[in-house]
Amino acid sequence: MSIYEYNGSALIAMAGKECVAIASDTRFGVRNQTVWREAQKIFQINNKTFLGLGGLNTDIWTLKETFRFHHNLYALREERDMSPKVFANLVSHVLYSHRFGPYFVSPIVCGLDDDNVPFLCGTDEIGAQEITHDFIATGTAVESLMGVCETFYKENLEPEDLFETISQCLLAGVDRDCLSGWGAVVHVLTKDGITTRKLKMRQD
Amino acid sequence: METVELYNSQEQIVLDDLSEPVKTGTTIMAVQYKGGIVIGADSRTTSGALIVNRVTDKLTPVADKIFSLRSGSAADTQEIAAIVRYYLNILSTEQGKPPTVKMAANLFRQFCYVYKNYLLASIICAGYDETDGPSIYSIPLGGAIIKQPYAIGGSGSTYLYGYCDANFKEDMTKEECVSFVTNAVGLAIARDGSSGGIIRYAIIDSDGVERHTIYGDQVKNYFK
Repeated sequence: MSIYEYNGSALIAMAGKECVAIASDTRFGVRNQTVWREAQKIFQINNKTFLGLGGLNTDIWTLKETFRFHHNLYALREERDMSPKVFANLVSHVLYSHRFGPYFVSPIVCGLDDDNVPFLCGTDEIGAQEITHDFIATGTAVESLMGVCETFYKENLEPEDLFETISQCLLAGVDRDCLSGWGAVVHVLTKDGITTRKLKMRQD
Repeated sequence: METVELYNSQEQIVLDDLSEPVKTGTTIMAVQYKGGIVIGADSRTTSGALIVNRVTDKLTPVADKIFSLRSGSAADTQEIAAIVRYYLNILSTEQGKPPTVKMAANLFRQFCYVYKNYLLASIICAGYDETDGPSIYSIPLGGAIIKQPYAIGGSGSTYLYGYCDANFKEDMTKEECVSFVTNAVGLAIARDGSSGGIIRYAIIDSDGVERHTIYGDQVKNYFK
């Protein structure tokens, strides 16, 4: 079992019409044992940006604090929030600075930029960016998640439809993976605000 | 232990996950009550982290009223169960009466012991016969054989030792026993990544075998 499968995770981010949604499972496990069912893997950076982190839990927790630190200092100095694109570059920079001793994470940055255009960016563990316009999936069930997203994704979904789609994709993907599941949370980000919902799902 | 690896034309291993042996990392249990046995198992088969089958039937009959509960390598245990079923069939024809659970368990034990270096099989053999009534035999990895009033096995069983120690009683009623088994398997499913899906259970007594299933939404959820 590789280090990326030590804790287990599943994350999807999807873009809709002037909105983005990001969803994750909430399992904290150690190999096969489930220790906690309400772990947080999606972190709000500012009003318009979310960061989702999959992979090794200790690195998730360390990195979310690192990024919070950098974003807060930027906001204090510049007197404005980081846009999602700038935040994604920060993520890449921090990860590449550990090129030969990487953090074992797979981050997803999602948000709305100044014109409320959705921004989605996934990176690998050393910071290579992949900016897409439809969806990003990551985690131990990434192949399943990509497959379901590819099937069900439609462009320009309204926030409510986007929520339905991303939820069903996440549930279908994690139900075939031992290491993710045990609860899920979905955040939908629009220009008017953020809606957070927990999904009822199988606890196995 | 044998591993099948899938190579492409450049001699690189592809599909790492599917190259891992398929295991029934699992939760299995068999419990004796007054006059019979209740056996139960989850329904998940995994290959690495991928769930290959989420509705597996791990309650494998080897004779009319004798079942084996399989954990370890799916291939090994399926093959052993098929061989034991074959021998039991011949033996019961020769003897002119249904086979005993002791016979079935010892056949399992023979294989698991003699071929212990090649196999990854941990089996619970449970059933009912006219000679000894309800019997449960555990055959763990090295090929030992242990007769027990109840037995738990598989990766999920580690979460059940305390629960079973606290709640097992001799001479339960059938309903109490079903409750005990289904609650226990449900608890293991909630904590063990290799166990999940539906709960299959069967009640074996002098009248025969009754099989039941508890689906996902009916599995008792201990968490809010």
